[in-house]
Amino acid sequence: MQTDPILIMKISSTKNSANAVCRVCIPALCLLLLSSCSQTSVRIQLPPAEPVGEVTLVESPDVPVENLLLEIGVVIFDANPVNSDDSQIGDWIFEEIVQNEAQYMPYVLRNTLVESNQWGAVRVLPREDPSVDLLIHGTLINSDGITLNLQIRATDSTGHEWLNKVYSDTAGDQDYPEFILSTHNNLIAPNSADPFQDIYEQIANDLLMVRAGLTAEGLVNISRVSQMSYASDLSPETFTDFLQQEPDGTLSVSRLAASNDPMLSRVAEMRFRHHLFIDTVDGYYSALHEEMKSIYDLWRLYSYEELQEIQIGALADNTSDDYGGSGNFLSLTQSYNRYKWSKIYEQEFNALAVGFNRELAPAILELNGRVHGLTGTMDEQYVQWRGILRDLFSLETTGREASF
Amino acid sequence: MRIITKRECVSFVTGPLLFITHALLFLLVTLVWSASLLAADLPVLDLDKPIRPNFSGSWEKDFRRSDDWETELNRTIQQIQREAELLSRQSSGGRSSGNLRSGRRGRSNVVDLARLAEFISRQSTITITQNNNEVRIEREGDAALICGLGEEIMESFSSKHGTEICGWEQRQLVFQISLTDSVTILHRFTVSSNNQSLNLVTSISSGNSTPFNLIQVFQRYDAPPDEFNCEQTLSRGIVCRQTQS
Repeated sequence: MQTDPILIMKISSTKNSANAVCRVCIPALCLLLLSSCSQTSVRIQLPPAEPVGEVTLVESPDVPVENLLLEIGVVIFDANPVNSDDSQIGDWIFEEIVQNEAQYMPYVLRNTLVESNQWGAVRVLPREDPSVDLLIHGTLINSDGITLNLQIRATDSTGHEWLNKVYSDTAGDQDYPEFILSTHNNLIAPNSADPFQDIYEQIANDLLMVRAGLTAEGLVNISRVSQMSYASDLSPETFTDFLQQEPDGTLSVSRLAASNDPMLSRVAEMRFRHHLFIDTVDGYYSALHEEMKSIYDLWRLYSYEELQEIQIGALADNTSDDYGGSGNFLSLTQSYNRYKWSKIYEQEFNALAVGFNRELAPAILELNGRVHGLTGTMDEQYVQWRGILRDLFSLETTGREASF
Repeated sequence: MRIITKRECVSFVTGPLLFITHALLFLLVTLVWSASLLAADLPVLDLDKPIRPNFSGSWEKDFRRSDDWETELNRTIQQIQREAELLSRQSSGGRSSGNLRSGRRGRSNVVDLARLAEFISRQSTITITQNNNEVRIEREGDAALICGLGEEIMESFSSKHGTEICGWEQRQLVFQISLTDSVTILHRFTVSSNNQSLNLVTSISSGNSTPFNLIQVFQRYDAPPDEFNCEQTLSRGIVCRQTQS
């Protein structure tokens, strides 16, 4: 890649042309050199993490003790948009893919946590939820067919941070399933594991390790705080006093309501209804995951193959006959052809990316239009639902107080 | 002779008036309705976006009006020789042959640049599609040139084999390709005001050499409509549907 200003300035012999070229080129020097679009990269500068390698999920053979089970919410991952200064034409295609990945990956983590049989209900949520005991946030740093980098932060309802680290995993030939033609003439890979399953298993194991360091009393405290946090979210004026902030910034329950407190039982009712709702939302993410899995695995396989091709191409460039540097016609055509084919290859890959988004669009549309009576995206519907519950709680409380 | 009563007289006068009023009202409603239909068909003017000339269409090369690369090469050589002679006279008898064949290692001479210009300009047709966001120039046997319609300079492609940037220079669409080994290719597209003719100037230079310019002129032609409407999918490859005529 060369953007030599002196060379560029001398392209055109006419004065006008030279001016035009200057205007075209000088700002271009400010552009950062970009990597290939074959990677759906989200450009965040973080120290590189060591790949997790081969991981075995720690599963519990026994049914866990119910009152010590923590409920987990996995929030849809963040996908930071590409810096507009670094953007290339066509980047929007890959940004759309990143957005779709951010909705897909939390469900793979959720499934892994469920499979470990170590936790209470694990749900995928469109945003933070005060009713769960442990919230997991993720940021998609980089995702392509070879590498997956995720930043994972897990915080319990007291505000204690369990995890905050970058996970990395690499996939090889053996991680990709064999695709077969279905009866509908689609390429599918039924019952295959995620090519980056190790990363999710490592996160699950790390969470388990943190939990192992907590006492039974500590676990019960987390559940109590989340119960009161939810109550406080429903009716801040009634329940804020039940929680207090510790010097280290975490929350604890300052006083306990009587077990037969009518207000608390109404909160429990609301929480139950709310959990039914978020179970339904989780079901929608499950449907999206189901719809997306085959096609997404195929997309990552193409991405993997493309990156392999690039690596092989780079090796071939170093070993093949090269007329480069001599400046003669053969050298020039060779240089142009290499450039041309790398561009054609990338444009074909972009076309595949568009195809991926196009095939996925109905599933995303369906996810966002599922909850009847609520409108907007799943995230907006979730906010509306919480508003409805708050209003309902307020109405019920006012009504009952008036009838006394 | 019949005597017209006062009531009949009033209705005689108001009848046609009423008819005219109704007719005018009907005409007005029809006008408003057709105007709204016309407005619906008109593209919405986005004042935030610059107005760009429309390049879209199918274009075939007009060989008569386009440069012949060999003739252009001879002309460039003569120009270089004239400049060299002038330079040698100025420097009291020194001899210089410009960059005809004197390219240092890594610097191409004008003959090689001319041959490269011919090599990359062999397409006899090009197809251009343009929407509110981008213009896409498809050339047979070569990668498409794609550029946005915004004010800024855009990086349209980058790899270790070269970088492509594009932008607009008034009514010209400019692509600049910087290859490795210091070669720069500049494509400059202009469309005539009647949208019937497309002008493409390709300038190729190496290092600080004199650029070789090749002008190609294209004429608009009516390409037959596509028989199939094809879409790329991931799981089923390219899926085509027959277009309804």
